[in-house]
Amino acid sequence: MSLLDIEDVSVDYRIGSGSLRAVDHVSLRVEQGEALGIVGESGCGKTSLGLAVPMLLPANASISSGSISLGGRELVGMSERELNQLRWTEVAFVFQGAMNALNPVQRVDRQILEAITAHDSHADREVAGARVLELLELVGIAAARAKSYPHEFSGGMRQRAMIAMALACRPSLLIADEPTTALDVISQAQILALLDSLRRSEGLSLMMISHDLSAIKRVCDRIVVMYAGVVVESGTTEEVLGRRGRPAAAQHPYTKALIAAHPDLGGARSLAQGLSGHPPDLSVPITGCRFADRCDSAMEICREQAPASLSVSPGHVAACHLARRLVP
Amino acid sequence: MNDVSAPSVKGLIDSTINVLEVRELSVHFAGRGRWRHRREVKAVDGVSFDIAQGEILALVGESGCGKSTIALSVMRLLVPTSGRIISGGEDLATLRGRALRRARRRIQMIFQDPFGSLNQRQSVYDTVVEPLIIHQLGATSQERRSMVMDALDLAHLRPPERLAEAYPHELSGGQRQRVAIASAMVMRPELVIADEPVSMLDVSARAGILRLMMDLRDRLGTSYLFITHDLAVAWMVADRIAVVYLGRIVEIGPATQIVDEPAHPYTRALLSVSSGEDIGADGAVTDVLPGETPSAANVPPGCRFHPRCPLFVQLGEPAICRSEDPALRIVLARRSSAYDRPPGVHQSACHFANEESS
Repeated sequence: MSLLDIEDVSVDYRIGSGSLRAVDHVSLRVEQGEALGIVGESGCGKTSLGLAVPMLLPANASISSGSISLGGRELVGMSERELNQLRWTEVAFVFQGAMNALNPVQRVDRQILEAITAHDSHADREVAGARVLELLELVGIAAARAKSYPHEFSGGMRQRAMIAMALACRPSLLIADEPTTALDVISQAQILALLDSLRRSEGLSLMMISHDLSAIKRVCDRIVVMYAGVVVESGTTEEVLGRRGRPAAAQHPYTKALIAAHPDLGGARSLAQGLSGHPPDLSVPITGCRFADRCDSAMEICREQAPASLSVSPGHVAACHLARRLVP
Repeated sequence: MNDVSAPSVKGLIDSTINVLEVRELSVHFAGRGRWRHRREVKAVDGVSFDIAQGEILALVGESGCGKSTIALSVMRLLVPTSGRIISGGEDLATLRGRALRRARRRIQMIFQDPFGSLNQRQSVYDTVVEPLIIHQLGATSQERRSMVMDALDLAHLRPPERLAEAYPHELSGGQRQRVAIASAMVMRPELVIADEPVSMLDVSARAGILRLMMDLRDRLGTSYLFITHDLAVAWMVADRIAVVYLGRIVEIGPATQIVDEPAHPYTRALLSVSSGEDIGADGAVTDVLPGETPSAANVPPGCRFHPRCPLFVQLGEPAICRSEDPALRIVLARRSSAYDRPPGVHQSACHFANEESS
């Protein structure tokens, strides 16, 4: 059984008198101890999907179809009280720009302590205090810095503190939405190395949401590519993006364009064409393939019929009329 | 001036003419704290470089390294503490008033955030025509209109007549950055300073903006000072790369050489995180450069990189790294080097730049 099983989930936003479907019948799984990357550009629905798992969608959004089960328990329709018991203890999250979410007038160790005691009001102060130092050490912050205020930390250290806080109640799944976006390259690499080692040492499962293919490539075993609310391709990171001499075997033209748009120091020194146009308006129904208007290889059928998901190789799925089974 | 990586010469590009010469530029700010304990923040600390006509020089470094401060000094939006900024035979560092305003026509800037840098209440036309009005260019409004339309067309905002009437909220991020480029190009500058011009854009829009900038260089001979934290992007667009660490250029040279034969340990660290080389054989992410960049108010003695330097540890902590601030020196070509180049083009500020790294 998968740790997280998202089945046919749709997320709708009420906007004015109409509605907008940000996530459209998406299914995916995260296995125990696995790192799954969700990649796509702004507005593709990846953040809405991430927020749907802990049921933290904004008030004007709702899950209109599907089921989300975590460790065998169905989350859709669960009471707020039950959800509060699962949040942080089963599933924790690090949001984009989370390092700015620390309380500026409270010392960092106290904020982490609060996260522990909020979920276990009987926690022994001394045990909890020791746990705070253990967590900070885990994320590479020396005990001597524990009593600092957030402004005394760099961006990278604040992000580490947020990760320490997310791990306070030993969750089995960590959802990280753009965990490194606002950071410098070296700090980015440090945070990614930290997430990777936590997964290996603590058995933490990871759902990492990012627009940055290289960050996903560095940490994740599998990748899900989203475009305009749907999954267009999924597979192992190694197969889809290529790694260590293995060429990328992405099948969907959108995935290919994303890969080409990322300058690769190991590849050719030439700029990709880039994508023209915009993603479609999601507040109106779409017939055919959502990517057709921006796709160089679009055919007649692409505008008439939405492509079904084709298994191109074991574990590798692409939703494109042009996708073909890979010869092993 | 070198012509190692001179672009395809198209008449407008003359790599023997420098549009900008920066010499020993320093920008120091007064630090915080009680006056006895106040430390100067050395944001830029003795930086020199040239940009030839039609050349793209990338300044690469992390936030706080001083790369944006260098850009703001060249624009004279900041007054440098010392050093010279030579452009068009004048020293911008000392110019004032009308002379400074005239010199600024030659240098235009593009900022990182196309969502914040455009006035939401101004149409594209009003945004692009504004610099012409400020600098009193174009004799009639008709002439100015045709200059604006040309600039929009140059920036691939087509059809210009229709896009001129648009407002920023109607435009995508990529289109907004094109408006910023058009309002820089309407002045026909010799040099454009682009500060992280693509880092706020979606990946699919980035390539288009970078292509546009390179295309303008080829067609008009525009030079660029391109500021980025992303070594891979710098490598794509720039002729030469200067790597900046804690207010100092630690390595400078042709882009391909910086990437293929980096001589400074900091450049190597940046490269390994940019290329995914820090992934070990079993797929585990291996160690990256430890610690944080020190504050510019507290520059380490000797080589400013030594407290984080893997080579320093590897070589058994040589005393010279702690005591002597290394100057930029010529990197000797490796025997295996694929590059044929005049001497002095590739320089690195490391005492051990010419040691073979393992």
